[in-house]
Amino acid sequence: MKQTTSAKRPLGSLRSFVTTQPIWAILAFIFVVASIAERDFLSLSNLSNILLQSALNGMLAIGMTFLMINGFFDLSVGTVMGFAAALTIGLQPHGMAVAILGALGAGLAVGAINGFFVTKVKINAFVVTLASFIGMRGLIFIYTQERSIVGQIDGFAVFGASKLLGLPTLAVIMLAILALAEFVLRKTGHGRNTYAIGGNAEAARNAGIPVERTNFINFLLCGLGAAVGGVFIASRMNAAMPTLGWPDTNLIIIATVALGGTKLRGGFGSMINTLGGLLALGIIRNSMDLLNVPSFFNRLSMGIILMLVVYADAKFKPVSR
Amino acid sequence: MKRNPGFLAILTALLLVGGLVFAGGAKETSAAAEGALTIGYAVFNVGVDSYETYHNEHFKMECDKLGVNLIQLDAQGNVTRQIDQVENLMQKKPDVIVIWPVHGKAIVPVVKKAHDAGFKIVIANSPIDESGFDYIVAYAGPDNEKEGRDAAEMMIDAFKKRGVTGQKKIVELMGLPGYVTAIQRSEGFQEVIKQHSDFTLLATEPTDWNREKATRAMEDLLVRYQDLQGVYVADDNLGIGALNALKEAGRAKDVIMTSACIFGEGYDAMKEGYMHGTCYQYSGLDAINTVQVAVKVAKGEDVPFLSMFDSPKVTPENMDKFKRPEY
Repeated sequence: MKQTTSAKRPLGSLRSFVTTQPIWAILAFIFVVASIAERDFLSLSNLSNILLQSALNGMLAIGMTFLMINGFFDLSVGTVMGFAAALTIGLQPHGMAVAILGALGAGLAVGAINGFFVTKVKINAFVVTLASFIGMRGLIFIYTQERSIVGQIDGFAVFGASKLLGLPTLAVIMLAILALAEFVLRKTGHGRNTYAIGGNAEAARNAGIPVERTNFINFLLCGLGAAVGGVFIASRMNAAMPTLGWPDTNLIIIATVALGGTKLRGGFGSMINTLGGLLALGIIRNSMDLLNVPSFFNRLSMGIILMLVVYADAKFKPVSR
Repeated sequence: MKRNPGFLAILTALLLVGGLVFAGGAKETSAAAEGALTIGYAVFNVGVDSYETYHNEHFKMECDKLGVNLIQLDAQGNVTRQIDQVENLMQKKPDVIVIWPVHGKAIVPVVKKAHDAGFKIVIANSPIDESGFDYIVAYAGPDNEKEGRDAAEMMIDAFKKRGVTGQKKIVELMGLPGYVTAIQRSEGFQEVIKQHSDFTLLATEPTDWNREKATRAMEDLLVRYQDLQGVYVADDNLGIGALNALKEAGRAKDVIMTSACIFGEGYDAMKEGYMHGTCYQYSGLDAINTVQVAVKVAKGEDVPFLSMFDSPKVTPENMDKFKRPEY
């Protein structure tokens, strides 16, 4: 279990902290520069907006972090989110509870299908989730009949815009779930197993860890996270359109998690790291809008920072193995 | 190993500072005098077609002419991005917020949020859902429903001129589902067609305002309905796409096409006899109208709730009265 210690002691020593998880230094830097360059950045309402705008990606990233630490990734999160959003809107005539449960159920179902094909049928996760990704897009178009759909329960939009403890409700929910997920990662058997399998699946199996079951559960969690994200986006608009989650939401989520320092090969990472990646991207998006920078610079800077993080990853192996 | 953290930090610093200095430079060029009005503009998708690109250029030109600051954020057709952008515009505290909505209904919650926070909002070019009308000051744009109705009338006239008798079968290529302009142009058209029992609307296909999609949709329709005689397109951009399919099938001269909005290439197509009616919704006028309405709203002056500009009918008979649009 020693290989998980570096993830559990992020404040080991400042230098090793900065080098093994450069996202925090980058985040601090971005924050400072944004505050200087744009006077409207540091207002409470703006910071609150950044959290709200990050809540959607945050939910998807939480699910993805479980999977990536486990050594997999899921390309279907974008369209699962879109389908969940469509269900949350489309099922409203049956009541809000049915709509939300339906959406979450769909996320779990796709997670189960992905998990089944990867763990039981032993097909590569890239191929399986790519198939779900494309299949779900088709399903969204069929369900919405190629039109955008609008919700009838106005209370749902009110919920989406509401505040809890002074912050946007959606952000509070996301942060609470993130904290819970971090707890699961650090303190539960499932969390330890996830790290172990991601680090070395064969050794984990030999040590008696239930590999297939753990993997399957993480695919479920990823699908569920995407579905919650779908509920969030539906509540901000009280509408859903067939194009939600297409084309590259999945890659942005993977980038967000990788940006935070979770390695693509597995065995290393944490939810707190993912939060760092999430906030960094959220601040960049926000400050570019405030500075009136054309939208495509967002992607460019995301690419640059991702390269820096990957560079740091290649230069500094995680402490202890 | 020891040098690397520093190297990493310096590299990050250089790239980000470079990026942000560039950004600061971009901001400088659009700033007018202190104390000038500021328009915060959340636009649908500047690059989606030539109408919108041209509109955008004229929007900026009119702002410069009136000495107004412009902060513009392009959602690139992404509805969630636009919601975030409206929220970010609110942080800049502009004197008026102009929104060209990606989705007429999905934007309503954030419009309400901006209204409740005390901002004045003008909707540009594509109306928002009626449920949002309480939260905006004005809509500045074309009368899309009238354009749809005019296009229907022009189609009926074109068939009459040709002396076609019997049941007339037509199809429709509409714009982007959920986009109010597309919905209004479609409903306006269908409203008039319904009143004429000798016309049958066989099918309506969405095209997302994309020319290639229009071509594919037209090809499908030609296969499905071998006996179709007319096609109504939501704008000339789609019309050219449909025309490509019609020409390939050898049916360009016998199928009657009308459109709700003119583009330069559609004007040419009308000269060649392929287009039988369109509406002169001039992109430049649209932009100038919107800026002027926005400035009036920012100053607190009264404006009509529906500040719509005229888009008269253009037919092969009267087309010489109109200048060919540059876009």
